[in-house]
Amino acid sequence: MIHSREHYLNLFAVSEELPRKIIAEALRSGGSWADLYFENTTYTSLMLRDGEVTSGGSHLDFGVGIRVLSGEKTGYAYTESTLEKDLKEAARTAGAIAVSAVSSDIPTPCAFRGEPNPAADRYPVQKHWRTTPATELKEVLEKLEKAIRRREQRVVKVIGSLACQVTDVLMYNSLGELKYDTRPMGSLSATVIFSDGGKVENKTASRSFRTGAEMLSDSLVEELAEEAVRNLDARFAAIRPKGGKMSVVMGAGASGILLHEAIGHAFEADFIRKGQSIFTGRMGELICDSAINVIDDATIKGNRGSLNYDDEGVPGQRTMMVTEGRLTSFLHDRISAAHFGVRPTGNGRRESFRYPPIPRMRATYMESGPARAEDIIAEVSAGVYVDEFSNGQVKIGEGDFTFYVKSGYLIENGRLTAPIKDINIIGNGPQALAGIRAVGNDARIDNGTWICGKEQSVPVSCGIPTVLVDSLTVGGE
Amino acid sequence: MIDSNDIKLLDDCLAYAREKGASALRLTLTENDQQLVGVLDGEIDKISMSMDRSLGISMFADGRFGTFSTNLITRAGVFSMIDKALEMTRMMTPDPQRRLPDKSRKVTTALSGTEMGLLDFSIDTLTADSRREMALSSALWGRKNDFEKGFSVISEEGEYSDSISDTVTVDSEGLFCRHRETSFEIGYETTVEDSSGNRFSAYWWDASPSLDGIVPALKDCSAEAILRAADQIGPRSIPSGKYNVVFENECASRLLNPILTALGGYSIQQGNSFLAGKAGEKVFGSNFSVIDRPAEVGKYGSKLYDSEGVATRTMPIVEEGVVRNYFLNTYIAGKMGVSPTIEDVTRPSVAPFGGCPDLDAILSAVGRGILVTGFNGGNNNSTSGDFSYGIEGFLFEGGKRIHPVREIVLTGNFTDLWNSLIFAGEDPRRAMTRQIPTVAFKDLYISA
Repeated sequence: MIHSREHYLNLFAVSEELPRKIIAEALRSGGSWADLYFENTTYTSLMLRDGEVTSGGSHLDFGVGIRVLSGEKTGYAYTESTLEKDLKEAARTAGAIAVSAVSSDIPTPCAFRGEPNPAADRYPVQKHWRTTPATELKEVLEKLEKAIRRREQRVVKVIGSLACQVTDVLMYNSLGELKYDTRPMGSLSATVIFSDGGKVENKTASRSFRTGAEMLSDSLVEELAEEAVRNLDARFAAIRPKGGKMSVVMGAGASGILLHEAIGHAFEADFIRKGQSIFTGRMGELICDSAINVIDDATIKGNRGSLNYDDEGVPGQRTMMVTEGRLTSFLHDRISAAHFGVRPTGNGRRESFRYPPIPRMRATYMESGPARAEDIIAEVSAGVYVDEFSNGQVKIGEGDFTFYVKSGYLIENGRLTAPIKDINIIGNGPQALAGIRAVGNDARIDNGTWICGKEQSVPVSCGIPTVLVDSLTVGGE
Repeated sequence: MIDSNDIKLLDDCLAYAREKGASALRLTLTENDQQLVGVLDGEIDKISMSMDRSLGISMFADGRFGTFSTNLITRAGVFSMIDKALEMTRMMTPDPQRRLPDKSRKVTTALSGTEMGLLDFSIDTLTADSRREMALSSALWGRKNDFEKGFSVISEEGEYSDSISDTVTVDSEGLFCRHRETSFEIGYETTVEDSSGNRFSAYWWDASPSLDGIVPALKDCSAEAILRAADQIGPRSIPSGKYNVVFENECASRLLNPILTALGGYSIQQGNSFLAGKAGEKVFGSNFSVIDRPAEVGKYGSKLYDSEGVATRTMPIVEEGVVRNYFLNTYIAGKMGVSPTIEDVTRPSVAPFGGCPDLDAILSAVGRGILVTGFNGGNNNSTSGDFSYGIEGFLFEGGKRIHPVREIVLTGNFTDLWNSLIFAGEDPRRAMTRQIPTVAFKDLYISA
């Protein structure tokens, strides 16, 4: 949602002139770039336990981050006040980097002129979170619990959570660009504890969107409830497979975690600039099957990873990371883009005004290919099919990634057989990407509450069609 | 640091909230200042300074409860937040168990905030130059390539930081408690490349509540990271199967944390824990004991009170395999109809077992197996205790490291795991709040 320029200047109690004065102060010691990031975040959450919403709260976070670059070196300071004296003190602190750093010939980052355009807004809001009463939000959680219990007798407890966040930002930099934005985010989730014959299991389902409170429809509640109890018999019957290297079929949607961990982080251009990533120096190379296209996208309307502008004021955009199997773009902030002489890709993101921006993913997904999911499974004589995950990580230097599988199935002679659960899978990014043997025609983005935790936490999303990966190490007994 | 004006503001907030109808209130004011210097490939790459203030409000009104926070700590900003907090709290469903802790349980000995000996005023002597010097004193960029051993350092990235924090908690029934501490930290991540172009990375770090405590660690930090990265060169595969497995003290806390989480009140009360209903039962082997030691003066993590202001105490958590205590705050204990203990574990310590004090002794005693030096992902099922983790480290024989191993997965169950404990050393890292030494287990299953 984008308000008027005056709205943001009033909100942060700054004049047109003040940002220019602070930038001048920041560059007084000789820095080559400076930017300001004003932020006002309100966060409200409610929790349902034991059938009642007996706790909730709201939180306010307000401040300004000031960054000064001297070549590629970063000075950073922030203040929780927008008074001129406090801003100037923070500007001088950040500007001290120019004294410390060895200068280098890095070109000035490119400009993105023009005012934000409300017509191009990727997250228009119909119903504002800040004016939606907590009683309405409470009712949604109560409906969710009822919908879950209505579907399943084995429910012991339902833990429901509803969180909404609205962040106003105003950004100004030493090129004179002024950008502003208001970013909504709503997240609804349920963790359900089940009991069956003395065995206890849990399942979690969530949905998160950059929209207003209009997302809290009855159909969303029913959809979430359905997911929370889906395949429960399989969960109780699940075994652990025999571990070892094997073929892995990754179901459409949440399996996008494969892209996030296996290649996404290694494409973040701070790791490339520092020579740390295993994909350093591989621009333009064929790195996987030519049927594969991988995209990192800030332009999907209402998506959790979407942005009108990134946190450096660069327009959100759709970035082709892999095009027909070839590495076509890394994910850049302004520093890495200047280093490589390319335009920033709008991936400069930060958790809050307390952090400088760094290259981060947004919505990362693979486009559909030609195969049908059932044909992909039929190709596998012995392996596993996985479709529900909790977390993952990667070692950038080696490219070794892992993700934790909450549920899936054994594949025996081309058919899904025994359900499986609670296994870790390990692979190597470049090898796994090169080892994708089939791509399904069913690409889907998963709209769960994905959070990426590289130094700072930011919301992301991921997606993928059904794919067959040749050989990954599967945990088991 | 928090001053008398801040304390006056807290008192005024208590009075204002009561006047507006709050039945009870707890306020926590926190200040945290941090300075950081980053180094990349032998040069200063980043400096940052942060000064955070935050006021947390636990609001009780009309039998209802809510939690709120703001960093706009002006009189007008805080009073406005209290108004909003009261309005929102009154929209919650009433819950008779929401109340402040009983007065007899509250801490009375944390008045200055320095009682734990964790505040080093020499932080005030540091300057921008001295911080840069300390950050750079670890750097070895360009001086540590070892072509005889077949590797070169292709990236060296480090950070020095120091911080000072000050927290005051008060409530409407007379609680006042304060905790102050400093922290000095150094960390370096390095990536090395072997002669075939394969990359290996490693991280090393140290921390101390005192400046004198961190200085000796500065010069060796990057060297240790480089050594740990280079040690991984030439990994070989091993067959899947059962191995004795030793976990270095640097990473062993990963094995204890799920036990502590499973003992948490919310998990127990919601039945979302494999240790629900196990209090007083012998769940683990007699070799396994964990005790919470919250008040060790001068030791990281020590604190005299929890977030409710309840006094911490030395408390057995698991005693010779028997589950002795859950972590139950006032609310959860009330819901469960039992006596409260403490909100959360403070400074847990695994008791030594087996007579081997450190890693070398344990490797010699175990003879052959896998030494785990790090984890790569993984998780666990909180209701069953089943886990599956990526691990990396070394195959060892005769107590000596033979070759590195990676891309292997350890799968099992936490109850079974701690039942197979054969050694627990006496070597937890001083910089860790959770005091977990090197530990060794018998016959764990590894997929490779």
